[in-house]
Order: sequence, then structure tokens, then C-alpha cells
Amino acid sequence: MTTEYFRWTEYTWKDPDIDWRKADTLVAGIDVGSVSSQAVVLADDKIYCYCNTRTGSNSPDSAKNALGQALEGTGIKDEDLQFVVGTGYGRVNIPMAKKAITEIACHARGANYMGGPTIRTILDMGGQDLKGIHCDERGKVTQFLMNDKCAAGTGRGMEVMAELLQVPIVDVGQMSLDVPEEPEPVSSTCVIFAKSEAIGLLRSGWTKNMVLAAYCSAMAHRVVGLLERIGIEKEFTITGGISKNVGVTSRILKELGGIEAVPLAPDAQIAGAVGASLFARDLLLKSRR
Amino acid sequence: MSAIEKFEEILENRHQYAKDWKQRTGGKVTGWLCTYVPVELLYAAGMLPVRILGTHEVQDVTDRYLFPTVCPFSRDALAQGLKGRYDYLDGLTMSRTCSHVQGTFDNWRNYVPIPFSHYIWLPCHRESPRAVPCLRGELLDLKQAIEKFTGVTVSDEDLDKAIELYNTNRRLMRQVYEFRKSDDLPITGAEAMEMVVASQLMDVVEHNKLLEDLLAELPNRKLDREAGLRLMMIGSEMDDIVFVRMLEELGCTVVIDEHCTGSRYFWDDVIPEEDRLGAIARRYITRWPCPAVSSEFNDRGDRIMQHAKDWDTQGVLLYQQKFCDPHEFDIPSLAQNFKELDIPTLVLEFDVTIPFGQFRTRIEAFLEMAELEVF
Repeated sequence: MTTEYFRWTEYTWKDPDIDWRKADTLVAGIDVGSVSSQAVVLADDKIYCYCNTRTGSNSPDSAKNALGQALEGTGIKDEDLQFVVGTGYGRVNIPMAKKAITEIACHARGANYMGGPTIRTILDMGGQDLKGIHCDERGKVTQFLMNDKCAAGTGRGMEVMAELLQVPIVDVGQMSLDVPEEPEPVSSTCVIFAKSEAIGLLRSGWTKNMVLAAYCSAMAHRVVGLLERIGIEKEFTITGGISKNVGVTSRILKELGGIEAVPLAPDAQIAGAVGASLFARDLLLKSRR
Repeated sequence: MSAIEKFEEILENRHQYAKDWKQRTGGKVTGWLCTYVPVELLYAAGMLPVRILGTHEVQDVTDRYLFPTVCPFSRDALAQGLKGRYDYLDGLTMSRTCSHVQGTFDNWRNYVPIPFSHYIWLPCHRESPRAVPCLRGELLDLKQAIEKFTGVTVSDEDLDKAIELYNTNRRLMRQVYEFRKSDDLPITGAEAMEMVVASQLMDVVEHNKLLEDLLAELPNRKLDREAGLRLMMIGSEMDDIVFVRMLEELGCTVVIDEHCTGSRYFWDDVIPEEDRLGAIARRYITRWPCPAVSSEFNDRGDRIMQHAKDWDTQGVLLYQQKFCDPHEFDIPSLAQNFKELDIPTLVLEFDVTIPFGQFRTRIEAFLEMAELEVF
């Protein structure tokens, strides 16, 4: 079998200290993105379990798959969930969701929950787009900016690069930092052009690490351009799959003048689904009033 | 059939409408490419002025004629000519406003057979006291060219009649817009846009009749959905009614606009003067300006802010056709003006086709943000 270098770790997690049967509210948020899907189950106001997996060929199956994996072994049946909110690119096609809310609102809300009410600026680096988001102390969006149509500087672009260089995608970030000196960024962050340029660099004798450094650096530079348009207000945090690529995040923070990013626990990639689950809980409580 | 359904029908069958008109009246049909072409003058000469618009379909016929950095509207409009969809036109007119649409005009004249064409040299310094006399001279040229082409002399009476008809048209459309100030909206933004686009395609006498019908229907009309956020749309050329419908389905209603298939086209009347051409020239020099012809931001900005207030705007969509620099230059200043009033803005850039999914996400997120309290 050929190695699929683009594959990142898919996993599920649950909190062994929570007994969901004792919870007053049990709700879920499902984020079907262009590349990855997450499902988060909230027991009262705590994350009980979640799953992070690849998006399949259609949204309904991806949502069912993510939720199914998250619920596996928990004893929770679909009908035990009192409210489900869908988000992400596939949000309108999530069969079990009672409401769809944009990933922009959900990422802000989820980051606010995981990183605390001092978060003001969120950079969401997703599979196929980038978003700079400002929010208030409740996690409500006050302003946002999204990249234009192309996938440059996003997770999909990084997957293409991992395949090209035959480097497991989870190693890309660390390898890109292991270079004798920081190379110039590749001149374009268009995925197709960058790929051609990377092939040229390899041919002229660059190491894989140097090429990765040049690509991560180009991606960081592009993202900083977007962030500068919306402006950075502290505290700052990064969500989405690329938040796990230290090669990109460290370069972003450096280019932003050495600011820090608030770490999000348990997982920055699930921020959208966490936000959706929080909205689900709000809507459930509102319906009871 | 209601007046709005009739507007829709005419938009769907715009070419057939013009061909039928031609057969029915024996008159000539002249296309125009920018709202700075004085339609009353064409109409006075017995012509049907028809605005050239695109179809928002993917096409590859203009690549040989226009640079890739020419705006999508200008490309889309030229594509219609190259594809022969306006083969019934007798004439084509254009006023000097922007170099992109001028590319459409020049290529159309060169590569699409057209019996008559005329270019109006709109003065670029419209704030100058010499602008009106300058344009008056240009309009005299246009009048003489049309007279030579048609063999018909345009009399003062013809001009008076055309001015009166178009002023009536403008007044009636303003009256329809008044209804959009209401909390209980009787008409959507997409429907209002259909009305204005139809006015650019139809015989003004027939459009006026439909407007009177519409004004009689509006007091008893209601939207079949919640109005949602009261939105204002501001920007460059925009006739994508499918987009406006999509926008409104997401939970808002466009209550007022500022673009050239909306208020910017029809807001100002011709104030009658003894010198008819001078009066028309004055209207086009002093009208609600397009940034492509205006160096004074406030002339446009102040009118926009007044409309935003009068129509109780709660959110603003600022958009531009890709590569439309004059509009893009105004966007930061407009966004700042609205920020000072605490009215949120969303900026979108249009291409021939729109990335529906991405726009949907942005618009929904904007509406979620603009709603005072979501949950």
C-alpha cells in the first residue's frame, strides 16, 4: 500500500470523569468542513466527548460518521441528544442538525470557551479557507474577514505539499524549522504555482526541510497579510487544522512581532464544533423557557 | 398578472420584447452601455433605448478582445454582442465614463456589425462650470448624428415629451422606493431591482403604466416571509437578481440601494429649461454621481448616508465588480462613515459567476453578527 502522506491523525476522545446520564442538557455540535469533520458532545457545559476525522465525499455521511465515532462506546444514542447544531461548509446538509450556524460564529464562540473570555482575535486556518475574526467577551463576532476563492495557504495546500515531498503531514511543521537558515519564502502561495516552484527548488538541490520552510513561510506571510487587514487585538489565538503546524504558527507569530497565541485545550481543531455545541445548548435552554 | 410578474417576464424575454417593439412600432432600437447615456434624447428620436447587460454565464469569447483585468460586467456585456444576442440592434451608444466598458463599446463597434454607433464625450471634470456647456455640445452632436441616421428631425416638442415621460418614470420609481421605508415591507429588494432593470429595457410609456399598476398593488401587498435585517446595497453595476434573491433568503431584505440598476440610475429629474439640450446636459452633470466620473467623494458619500438614514438601514453590503477601481477607492471611506454610525458593513467582490458557497458563509456570518442578540 502506498503511504498517504497527507493523512493527519484522526481520533476520538472522551472525558472518563463525566457521567452523561446525570447531565441536564446533552447536546452536540457538528462541523463538516471541506477537509475535516468534527463532532463534539456537550454534557451540561462541559465537553464530554469528541471526534476529529476526515470529511468524506458528502456532508450527511461525514456528519453521521463524525458523530458515530464520537458516540462510540459512550452508550449515547442519537435520540439522547436534545439539540444538534451544524456548522462548517457542509452545515446545510447535516441531517440531525436542527439549526445551521456559520463556522465564523462557531469558531469565535468555541475559541472563547476554550481560550477564555479575553480572546479578541481568532485566526481560523481551515482546509480550504482562512478567516480572521474579532469577537467580544461573550464570543460574539464583531468583525471578520475571509480569504478569496483560492485554497492557497490552507490545509489543502499543505496536504499537496506533503504528498509532493513525501513527508507525513504531521511532521511538516517541525521539519520546516530544522533548517540551517531561514530561506526566502516561495514567491507565490497559489497551490499550483507553489508546487511547480517547490519541484524546481528540489531539482536545484534544496533539501526537503528547506522547501518546507519556504512554503510554511509563504503561507505565514499570506495569513499575516489577511490579519493585518482586520487588525490584531489581544488576546490572539489560532484554530483549525493548521494551528497544529508549528512551522506555520511560529512564523505567523514571529511576523506579527513576537506576540503569543493562547493555547486552546483540548484541541484547537474542534473549535467550530465546540462553538456549535454551545449554540445548541443555548437554543435548547431557550426552547425550555 | 401583477406588475412585478410582468417585470420578471420582460427580463426573462428581454430580447423578444425589443424585437416585438421594433415590429410593432417600426422604430429603431439603440443599445446603451452606461447610465450616462441620455435615454430621453434617444427616445425623443423615436428610438427604444435598451441597456446592454450580461447574463452571468461562464464564457470564453471575450479573451481575444479584452485584457483579463477588465471588469466582469464589461466582459459579460461584450460576450452578448459577440454571441449575436443583440443582433436586432440598430445602434449602440456609450458615454465616456470608464475605460473598461469603453473596451466593450470599441470592440463591439469593430467586431459586431452595427448600423449606427455614437460615443458621447462626457467631460471628466464634472465640477467645472464649463462641464454643462461642454456636454450640451456633445448632446447636440448626438442629436444631429441620430437625425442623420434616422432621417427624422427631433423637435423641441419631441424633447419635451421624452423629458416629461422619463421624469414621470423617475418620480413613479421614487414613489415605489418610498414604500420601502415602511416597517411592513411590501416589496423585496430583488423585486425592486427587477422593476429598475425593466425600466432600462422597456418603452418608457409601457413601463410607466406598469409602475402605476404596481403603486396601486403595493398598499395591499405583503412579503411572504419575515423581512429580517434592513439592508442597503451599495456599489458598481449589479443586475444579478439571482444573487439578490439568495441574499434575501438568508434573512434580510434590501430596503434601499445605491447602484446603477437602482437609485443611482433614476434618482434625479431633468429640470425643464428653455434650452432643452442644456437641461438634459445639466441633469447628467449634476446627477447622483458614479465614482467613475466623480472626483468628489462627498458628493456621493453624503447622499448615500442620507439615504441610509432615511430608509433606516441596519446593515450595508458594499460590493464592486472585480477590477472596478473607482468603486473600490470609495469603499474604505464608505465603510468608515457607516462605522461611525455603528452600522455593520460587508464587502464582496463580484465576478461573472459568483462563488455561491463562500458568499453564503460570509453573508450568513454577517447577518449573525449584525443581529442585535442572536440567542
